[in-house]
Amino acid sequence: MATPQKPGSVVQGTLDMLILKTLALEPMHGYGVGLRIEQISKGVFQVNAGSLFPAFRRLERQGWIRGEWRATENNRRAKYYMLTDAGRKKLKSEAREWQTQSAAIARILEATSGEV
Amino acid sequence: MRLVNIISGGLRALFGKQRVEQELDEELRCYMESAVEHKMREGMGREEAAREVRMEMGSREALKEQVREVGWETRIESFLQDLRYGLRMLRKNPSFTSVAVLALALGIGANTAMFSVIEAVLLRPLPYRNANEIVRVASTWDRNGTLTSYTSSPPDFFDWRDQNRSFSSMFAYHTGEFALTGQGEAKRVRAVMATAGMFSTLQAEPMLGREFAPEENRKGANHVVILSHSLWQAAFAGAADAIGKTIQLDSEPYTIIGVMPADFRFPLSGSDAFAPIGFDDKVMTQRGAHYLAVLGRLQSGVTLAQANDDLSAIMAQLRKLYPDKDGKWGVRAQLWSAALVSDIRPALLVLLGAVGLVALIACANISNLLLARATVRHRELAMRRALGAGRSRLVRQMLTEGLLLALLAGGASLLLAHWALVSIVRFGPADIPRLASVALNGPVLAFAMSMSIACALLFALIPALRSSPLDAAGLLRMSVSPSREAGRLRGALLVGEVALSMMLLAGAGLLVRSFVGLSSLSPGFDPKSVLTMSIAVPDAHYKNSAALQSYWDQALTQLRSLPGVASVAAVTPLPLSGDDFSSSFRVEGRSVPEKDEPSAELRFASPDYFRTLAIPLRQGRAFAEADRLGAARVLLISETAARMFFPAGDAIGQKIKFGASGGYEKNEGEIVGVVGDVRHFGVDAPVPPTFYVPLAQSGMDFVAVVMRTQGLPAGLMQAARKVVQAIDSDALVGEPVPMETLVSASLGQRRFYMMLLGGFAALALILAAVGLYGVISYSVAQRTQEVGIRVALGASGSDVVAMVMRQGLRLAAVGLAIGLALALVLKSVLRGLLVGVSATDPATLAVTALALLIVAVLASYVPARRAARVDPMVALRFD
Repeated sequence: MATPQKPGSVVQGTLDMLILKTLALEPMHGYGVGLRIEQISKGVFQVNAGSLFPAFRRLERQGWIRGEWRATENNRRAKYYMLTDAGRKKLKSEAREWQTQSAAIARILEATSGEV
Repeated sequence: MRLVNIISGGLRALFGKQRVEQELDEELRCYMESAVEHKMREGMGREEAAREVRMEMGSREALKEQVREVGWETRIESFLQDLRYGLRMLRKNPSFTSVAVLALALGIGANTAMFSVIEAVLLRPLPYRNANEIVRVASTWDRNGTLTSYTSSPPDFFDWRDQNRSFSSMFAYHTGEFALTGQGEAKRVRAVMATAGMFSTLQAEPMLGREFAPEENRKGANHVVILSHSLWQAAFAGAADAIGKTIQLDSEPYTIIGVMPADFRFPLSGSDAFAPIGFDDKVMTQRGAHYLAVLGRLQSGVTLAQANDDLSAIMAQLRKLYPDKDGKWGVRAQLWSAALVSDIRPALLVLLGAVGLVALIACANISNLLLARATVRHRELAMRRALGAGRSRLVRQMLTEGLLLALLAGGASLLLAHWALVSIVRFGPADIPRLASVALNGPVLAFAMSMSIACALLFALIPALRSSPLDAAGLLRMSVSPSREAGRLRGALLVGEVALSMMLLAGAGLLVRSFVGLSSLSPGFDPKSVLTMSIAVPDAHYKNSAALQSYWDQALTQLRSLPGVASVAAVTPLPLSGDDFSSSFRVEGRSVPEKDEPSAELRFASPDYFRTLAIPLRQGRAFAEADRLGAARVLLISETAARMFFPAGDAIGQKIKFGASGGYEKNEGEIVGVVGDVRHFGVDAPVPPTFYVPLAQSGMDFVAVVMRTQGLPAGLMQAARKVVQAIDSDALVGEPVPMETLVSASLGQRRFYMMLLGGFAALALILAAVGLYGVISYSVAQRTQEVGIRVALGASGSDVVAMVMRQGLRLAAVGLAIGLALALVLKSVLRGLLVGVSATDPATLAVTALALLIVAVLASYVPARRAARVDPMVALRFD
């Protein structure tokens, strides 16, 4: 039985990178991060709270992001996450790594029989 | 940096727990509100939006738990929580807790005790520097394809030592004793006579003075001695000026040249003095005289195999050079630590395996109890599951409870192990090296600890895994009736317990049977009411055989006059004493090359010896008072020797010449009689072919007197010693020992193994009975309702008893059958330990199976009786 890829699940291990990238644009609170990922990916990725919050905790512990309580646009207190310097470095290396890998995967997938 | 972050984040969460939790709560609320607002902006009503968000987010508690589990601190926290919870559970069920802890403590305690024996005897390094380089080099003799190790002759030793390229040093030694005289009553000094390489090979130095010089190994120059620390303390109160003084050993002066440190022991059983062997000028001609033990230290980088090749090449050369003396001898190098225990190791490993089974049985028992309890805890677990506990969280909690039980049991087991060790030290046989040094030391404690943890994993994992996969909804349904599967699992565990117990019981039964058989074997003489006492007289006082003989005559006469003594004789070496003396011999009229000469045991005995020990005379005559120096030389021969060497039955009248001499006189003579066999090396050892020489024609300076008494009168022991010391105060008189003690000690190892395995089997039986009782009682409790209905419908009490017992006995019977099949495996395992009984002895198997069956009947009868007393009204109202 083939398991249909659920729309919205994020490729294993890339969620952290996506969060870092999103926060690199501007500090954001939890719901905003999820929403932004969904929007930018045009609905391909849907991140639910169950993955998001453990990821925040994980990234915070690693020292890649830090949280700060601020007022939202609606004047409510929310925890805003922002990238630290270490997080910026991490994002750079993750992105570079991802690009090399995805380019390589693309090359393999597009290979014609003559090249193999 | 990252590590600091991780740690500080965890610590913050651990100690500022409330704030972190509050923040998370607030964050989630904020998230929800944002989500609701977002959905409302898309056109949903508030209610609908809120419901959808809640659906999307799932259980908030589960989500929070997921976030918490990111950090390491939650592990510790939940562990502490589990620990507290587990303790509460154990306190709440004192009867469960005490049964489980006791059963497990018995299992772990037995294992800990057994392991400490293994540790002391097999694992602990020998007390010498780099002891794993010390190798025992032994002469070997090929007897029908099996190599037997023997002591070696001085010339062989010298050739090995001087020609090898594998050893950095090598020495030879033999043990003996001296009489320390000149200070009142002669004192026994256990001595090692060694060559000069001893201290470099053992890498030990005297703390005072010096070691032997090579030239001190020559006869005449060998009157120097190194004292053990304890003898130095006893004889010189630890005075440093003892060096250079002389002491009288066997009435000859020895100069003290050194003192060993207090922690030096050699051989392992200990000794009091070390002296050089005095080889005389003829030593290089004594290639056939095997009496030296040889130890060597391997050069670094040389393997045992290389050393063996090296020595074998030398030995091949020696066989060519000396075909008469070395023609049939080989050589073998073995790690000393392994050589010391080569005959004990297999038995101890069998026992270790057996005690491991006991632990398995205990674990199965507790698994069973936990399984039964898990059914009861059904709803509790379901509730926790519904409230958001993950599966792994529940497994972890149950493992923690198991660990708690195991650690409690581990603590209790140390107490049990301690008692076991006290009795092992007290009653264990003396011929297992270092057995007396067993202790609850570091390695043993570590073993008990890891054993407890391993047991916890073993017994807690099955119930933990079984009870958690059920989904919360199913668990929450009101029914608490146990699943059939759980019942089957418990039954299977019980069958396993019974099977393993059956196997252990069968093994123990076989050992008991074999032991009883051996104990009833006659040693070849009647040990009852016979007292024995060793006497050694100083050579220096008795310069020839005639002088010695008059001493022995006088001593025997004096002893014979003591009240309560029926007859007295002297012999050397004494049966079952561990000493022996053998020699090659030649039969007059038969011509065989020297290397093919047969050899036999030699004993020197006074005329009354055979009558005193009740050794039967089969043919001819025994020794008479007239068989003395100057009279015709005579010999007696044992039945086995007569059969082996004179199969035609013509032993009497044959003239024999022996190769080695015992005392001053040459041993030769004409066979005048045949006597019964004596099991000199132990009741369980082969009967050696033996010749007897009259003590009066041999000139021996060391004998054991044997006295047949009227019921071992009290006070005789001291009186006997006094009488002998009065004749020559320098004579070394040993403590009198009843001959029966020697007979029973010769079976000491077998008794020890039998007691241990018997103890383990008894434990297994108790555990199996407890297990059976537990399972049946539990199922009776579960079936109260059913029983009530049956009684209400007219079933009688005996019907109920029969029904319950059928269930128990069916399980027991299956276990019994499997156990009997497993017992066949014992055949190869126990082979070395059984004498005179087959490993599949039907009588033994039947008796042990019956014993187990009786226990099974009792263990299921008690709960069955309880079931029969169920009041149907109460039962029907039940839940």
